[in-house]
Amino acid sequence: MKSGGFFKERIFPILFMLIITVVCIAIVSSIHLSTKELVELNETLFLKRAVIFAANIPAGETTAEIVQAFENRVEEVKDGEGATRYFRVVEEGSGDVRGYVVFQNGAGLWGEIEAVVGYQEDLKTLTGVDFIKQNETPGLGARITEAWFREQFRGKTGPFTMVPEGTVSSTSEFDAITGATRTSTAVLKMMNASVANVASIVGE
Amino acid sequence: MAKGKVKRVLLDDIGGKNPVFAQILGICSTLAVTNSLRNTFVMTMGVLFTTALSNLTVSFLRKHIPSRIRMMVETLIIATFVIIVDIVLKAYVPDIWRQLGPYVGLIITNCIIMGRAEAFALSNSPGISLVDGLASGLGYTYVLLIIAFFRELLGSGTIWGVSVFGDWWTNWSIMIMPPGAFFMLALFIWIVRGAILKPEEEKK
Repeated sequence: MKSGGFFKERIFPILFMLIITVVCIAIVSSIHLSTKELVELNETLFLKRAVIFAANIPAGETTAEIVQAFENRVEEVKDGEGATRYFRVVEEGSGDVRGYVVFQNGAGLWGEIEAVVGYQEDLKTLTGVDFIKQNETPGLGARITEAWFREQFRGKTGPFTMVPEGTVSSTSEFDAITGATRTSTAVLKMMNASVANVASIVGE
Repeated sequence: MAKGKVKRVLLDDIGGKNPVFAQILGICSTLAVTNSLRNTFVMTMGVLFTTALSNLTVSFLRKHIPSRIRMMVETLIIATFVIIVDIVLKAYVPDIWRQLGPYVGLIITNCIIMGRAEAFALSNSPGISLVDGLASGLGYTYVLLIIAFFRELLGSGTIWGVSVFGDWWTNWSIMIMPPGAFFMLALFIWIVRGAILKPEEEKK
């Protein structure tokens, strides 16, 4: 420590690090806080869009149209702690129940898959499915998020069996994704679990 | 800032000393995100922004940073810019942010950024450091976009999500999986080094 003295060698680096850390935290925090509302809005919008897709409610692509359609046609049913249990799809105006949308989790190839599954009021016929969380292989397993895959469940009834891509012949079959057998199997399990559980979720 | 120096820095970083194919830096993200053009573009813009601004900041502070903690300081500065990129993407392009997943955060560990801060910004003035950061980012950007172009085209039959080949095309699934990235990158480096870099060296 002969060259610079105690302060320069020991104290100054610590002070420098402290100051620069505080400055960096201040910058990041202020940006985080200024976009917080927008981020939350994005997340609820994402869920609303998924529910509307699963319930097969006709709506436009813009934020306003999605929010409007959700307000008119969907009622959230919450449990005792305020978390959403499922969604009730109603007729605009009269309020007649037209169907339900429930959550379903499952284990994918790389991580958890979370979906919303829509049913008609008979709790048997599907109105659609949308995936709100997935980490599957891009270009392969992640193709479950493509419209054709999610739309193919409309009007079908479970329990399902999986057939090779492009060979569906009955209303209890769905197209698997070529090259993504593990992800397709995960979706199969999720769909069948949902079909088995939907009555008890909505019934309570 | 001499004009000659700016030109040399630009040419070096984009061409002969390109971070990806000459220095073989930043390979992690080169392999991971290049299976679709749109994701690659957003990722490279994030890297470009981070290299440019972290180089500039490190260069401004270079005379004050105690040398024994300089790496900590550099990492902190880089991390700050990366988190800013992450928050901005999350707020304004949530769909792409969801697809990129952890890779945005991993920009922090991109060796190009740390490498330029250490090798260039610590010993050069802010202006030329900014140019160096931008040029390195651009060198990274165009190489990744070229690789992504071929991987998306061959692997999904699309360019920027738009189908170009039509139904007769059988997707080369391997191109969008990690092995495809190794093949593309190796081919790219082979062609560039064999056809462009090597003849120049022989001339000298």
